[in-house]
Amino acid sequence: MDEDLRRIIFETFSEVFETMFFTFLEPLEEAPGKEELGRGRFIEAKISYSGGCKGDFLFYFPWELGKNITVNFLGVDEDEVLDGQITDTAAETANMAIGSLLGKLDPGGKASLAIPQARVLADFSPETMLDEVGLCMFNTEFGTLWVVGTHE
Amino acid sequence: MAFNILVTDDSETMRAVIKKTVSMSGVPVGEFHEAANGKEALAVLAGTWIDVILSDINMPEMGGMELLKKVSEDEDLRKIPLIFITTEASDARMEEARKLGVAGYVKKPFQPETIKAILYEVLEKAYAHRLADKPEEAAGEESDF
Repeated sequence: MDEDLRRIIFETFSEVFETMFFTFLEPLEEAPGKEELGRGRFIEAKISYSGGCKGDFLFYFPWELGKNITVNFLGVDEDEVLDGQITDTAAETANMAIGSLLGKLDPGGKASLAIPQARVLADFSPETMLDEVGLCMFNTEFGTLWVVGTHE
Repeated sequence: MAFNILVTDDSETMRAVIKKTVSMSGVPVGEFHEAANGKEALAVLAGTWIDVILSDINMPEMGGMELLKKVSEDEDLRKIPLIFITTEASDARMEEARKLGVAGYVKKPFQPETIKAILYEVLEKAYAHRLADKPEEAAGEESDF
């Protein structure tokens, strides 16, 4: 993934997270060492697009990050949030982030977004993604958001 | 005068956020109705008085563009303004929507103020049309969004 695309992804995702979830993203240039990566509960959200261009993106939200953005999105207390709402918010985040990105990469609107999908991964480690070429990492107050994507 | 609003989005949390945003905007709301796709929206429209439709585009079963097309083809339904709240707001997509008579659009991610401004603008037009009591002209009038 080239640096221009990484910059556009960061700017686009930051706009989505700040506007909708009051959450700030900080790009991580280097992946943490394997020894720093634990296992835990994550939400995986995936979305693709095709048409004039095509792409696939996978988002991995640590559960606490997913919960926090859902709390901010809905404007409710932490103990009021349901697991289904957290998964739904992750899918909608992928939709907004990649939909906005597509608006910049494909201003003519030839490509169409697929329906986003999300699922809970009960025991996941991001270690499996460390060698991915299209890996982007964003630090947040509630853990690292991992994104793996392709665009062509 | 309160307005009945149909919120159509496949994301339940997004529907909740849109309802909350509209409620806090000061727009007088009679009832909120919800649909998860265009098909469900048409079912609601078949049996309920709706004043304005807020709809996503990217939805399973029937997306927002097809919903807009169905609404625009129906003599009664086409009087109901439809506003897209969507990530898919490219110039080409919005030109297509404009030709089908969309009343306005809000791009996700959105600021609450943007929804408020567009909703007020669209509802004031609809309200003016009702006051004028000339529905046949209102239905044929072009949107200038």
